[in-house]
Amino acid sequence: MASPIRILTAVPICDGHDSAINTINLEFIRHGIEVVYLGYHRSVSDIVRAAIQEDVRAIGISSYNGGHIEFFADVVSQLRKQGAHDIKVFGGGGGTITQDDAAMMARKGVDHIFFAGTSLSEMTDYVRKQYGKPRNTRAHPKNPDLILARRLTGIEGRFAGRKRSPLTAHRSRSNRRKRNARVIGFTGPGGAGKTTLIDELVLRFLNQDRHSRIAILSHDPSVIGEGALLGDRATMINSQNDRVFMRSMATRGQAGGLSPATHDCLALLAQSDFDYVIIETVGTGQEAMPFQKNGIVDRMVLVMNPDYGSRLQLQKIVMLDLADIVVVNKSDLQRARTAHTEIEQRLEQNRRNQRLIDTVAKRHGDPGVDRLFDLICHRGQPSLSCRAKSRHLLIFPRLGNN
Amino acid sequence: MSKLGQVIESVEKYNKFVLDQVKRARADEQFGRELLGRWNDIKAKIPVTRTPTGLPLPRLALPEIDEPGEIARYLFSEGLPGEFPFLNGAYREMYLEPVREIESFEKDGGSGRAQPEPARRGEGAPDKKIPQAEEPTRLFSGLMLAEDTNERFHYLTQHQRTHRLSTAFDGPTLYGIDSDADGVSGKIGEGGVAIDTVEDMVRLYDGFELGSPNFSASMTISGPAPIIMAMYIAAAKRRFGPKVVPKLRGTIQADIFKEVQAQNETIFPIEASLRFLTDMVEFTTREMPRWYPISISGYHIGEAGSTPVQQAAYTLSNGFAYAEMFAARGIPIDQFGPRLSFFLDCALDAEYIALARVSRRIWAIGMRDAFGSGPRGQLFKLHTQTSGRSLIEAEFKNNLTRTAAELMLAYINATNSSHSNSADEPFTTPSEEWIRLAAHGQAILLEESGIFKHTMNMLSGSPGMKAVERAVEAAILDEFREIERLGGVLAAVEDRYQRSQIQNAAHRYEQQIYEGIRPIIGLNRYRNGSDDIPEVKLVRTPRKKQQLQVDRLAKFKKKNAEKAKRALDKLADVVERGENCFPMLLDAVEVCSLGQITGRLQEVVGRFRPMV
Repeated sequence: MASPIRILTAVPICDGHDSAINTINLEFIRHGIEVVYLGYHRSVSDIVRAAIQEDVRAIGISSYNGGHIEFFADVVSQLRKQGAHDIKVFGGGGGTITQDDAAMMARKGVDHIFFAGTSLSEMTDYVRKQYGKPRNTRAHPKNPDLILARRLTGIEGRFAGRKRSPLTAHRSRSNRRKRNARVIGFTGPGGAGKTTLIDELVLRFLNQDRHSRIAILSHDPSVIGEGALLGDRATMINSQNDRVFMRSMATRGQAGGLSPATHDCLALLAQSDFDYVIIETVGTGQEAMPFQKNGIVDRMVLVMNPDYGSRLQLQKIVMLDLADIVVVNKSDLQRARTAHTEIEQRLEQNRRNQRLIDTVAKRHGDPGVDRLFDLICHRGQPSLSCRAKSRHLLIFPRLGNN
Repeated sequence: MSKLGQVIESVEKYNKFVLDQVKRARADEQFGRELLGRWNDIKAKIPVTRTPTGLPLPRLALPEIDEPGEIARYLFSEGLPGEFPFLNGAYREMYLEPVREIESFEKDGGSGRAQPEPARRGEGAPDKKIPQAEEPTRLFSGLMLAEDTNERFHYLTQHQRTHRLSTAFDGPTLYGIDSDADGVSGKIGEGGVAIDTVEDMVRLYDGFELGSPNFSASMTISGPAPIIMAMYIAAAKRRFGPKVVPKLRGTIQADIFKEVQAQNETIFPIEASLRFLTDMVEFTTREMPRWYPISISGYHIGEAGSTPVQQAAYTLSNGFAYAEMFAARGIPIDQFGPRLSFFLDCALDAEYIALARVSRRIWAIGMRDAFGSGPRGQLFKLHTQTSGRSLIEAEFKNNLTRTAAELMLAYINATNSSHSNSADEPFTTPSEEWIRLAAHGQAILLEESGIFKHTMNMLSGSPGMKAVERAVEAAILDEFREIERLGGVLAAVEDRYQRSQIQNAAHRYEQQIYEGIRPIIGLNRYRNGSDDIPEVKLVRTPRKKQQLQVDRLAKFKKKNAEKAKRALDKLADVVERGENCFPMLLDAVEVCSLGQITGRLQEVVGRFRPMV
């Protein structure tokens, strides 16, 4: 079985009209398409960068604020400049794009414009028909991000349709190679604010120096019917940057918070030229154990919401035993103090010198996030349990643990 | 209990008070007699006017009741136009022809026979030298560069007694970025006017007397509103000196809540946006007593797909939340209360028969009883725009009928001002021909027809309207209760409550059209078959003009490079210290562009993180 079609959708810069694209996204995922949604008010370079990193087949742009001829043309030309000729561009804009405009846009390399009144099923059929066939393998790209992105696609493709990795040989081989990056894993229940927290950390990484590069491997669940809405980029305002390589992965039927291909993709990223690799799981349940002890992840961060239910619930959360750092995000909520005390007690049972930090990730310049950043970067925090980097030959992630 | 909880309680209490008054009027003979006396007094004082055909009509129509209980119900629950709780109108006369006209008319021959019609404004007809109420017309416009919009403004107002300009900005301006920003070149001057600097602002209103009582400017912008406001003040000072500031009249939208709930044009995090807004409101309500520093807008909520009740409920609750915030800053309620204004959508759903009427009543009661506002702050001063969403491309001339019907509903609701959409809006920036027809639609209803100019309450108070009022009010209060349950407006906004509700309603609306439950003539009913896009000349900003804007901006930045750096440092400093930054913005706009200021502010307070 082939991999699902991956496309990227976005609304252009200075345009906040996202209601059409929201509806279309849902229709696409219902029909088995993986949609990386970039959100509204997005620049040409944000769109092109994301399309290349995510290695999508096509970009769908929904434009309602005019200037579409130039905008679509800019996207096409920047894609070509970066060697991604085979990422196609289509879109629509209700009544704002005329037939004449569309003709001109077609001349500039846009595949197709949908006019007002096009049904959702017409759009879905078009995407499936047009972008469903395997891509012709092209000449070797020169753009390093594009090369990396294509290799990730290759890994994902090898796992397509299988629930677990059969490529043990491949895995151990790749793991034996040298590691450059420090790998930080984020997990926790849905809605705890993992994505916002990571984005705020990225801002601090970027401001820390002028050169380091960061990779983010972000996960969202696939829905029944194989589609997935990969929407983390839409809220990650700081991570749309040339120094950040972000890849959104759908779980493609695997439970536990990660995708069947995650391990190999992460291994590849860890060996690539990044200073930090951040991996974010989907929202997980109490029993989830997405990161294996002594695995490839150097720091495991569990992000909690103060609203976890009764104190007894804490006993059931497996990651509380494994995590190096536990974050109580949304600590401006009323319940946060109680949560802090209860989690602190729970961690003391482990006697592992785990760290507990309160954050309000949505707040710009939050001091809690600053502290978390310092911990992750190791600055002045020798008490953290450090693991030797060579010991990552154990299976990661532990697959099918729930 | 939050302030919104107190508003809910005050409306419930007031409704109970009305019922008590009704009972008392029936039980307490003395009270009943007093009411009857007052009622007869009111009726006796109503002047009589004559229509051009000679028919005598009262200037105010009242229900034919003579039972004290019903009189109490009417006076307390609805109020006369211009009287608490203002159900029938914020002012006594609204669209009526001025009294002077009638007096002269009566003097010349009140015999009841047909009289020569007083000269009306029209093609070539000079205005008669009698004081007239100002037209409620506010036509929203903005295109290409400042000088092009300026020309359009002069064209639009050439026959107007008063110059009320309503300004639309282009995408880059709405998002607080400059025309030279990465990838925006095609957006310059599209859908609105491009403003980067104070120099553009000077060009935009060139030739208009900014300090005159006959002039006001409305600016539809929210995210960067405080910066644009500062530019407007700076431009006025450049042309008329510092003394013009207290005389400035106009409105700036500056509605952050609805941006987050519906329109997505937010550039700073919510709390920082609200702080900058409050800084501006504190300054303008003190220094510019005729300025409306916020237009609390349901329009975009409605256009984003909300139900009419959601539109009214979110707009009102947003308004109460702003009032709570301004009061918390220490701005006296009677200083800011009268400077709040409202902006609603009007489409064709039944709710619109009374949506604005009910909103006016809830606002008045909430402001008086929950906030302790004086009479001027109780007024729900309303601008209405007809629904853009109701207009479609298929057989687009039908849009004239849709807009006319919506305008009619807006006037039945006694809106204070109105904008009627051009029929060609679904597919282009409105062209002059259709703009003129849209403006004429207003004049036809208010000036040509006898529906609104002779008699207040001409169409108010029908049993159907009352039924709608009751149902709408109950539904709005239910929405309030839900928001209150979520911890108030800000908490609900951060929780995406309103946003999700609006999106859900939008989806339902589309579904209804698709299934044919919601008939749209020419689209899902009586469809013509041919789906040709009409031949309309497109108004697009030529490349050359876009380049001109970029060049001018470059020159401005070069000229002010040194000063800009210092101004931005000072601004950042004031923002970090938590002081009111508006005075510093006034300095900064003299030498900095919009994008420079936005960028620097974002460094200090962060950027808005979209909600999806």
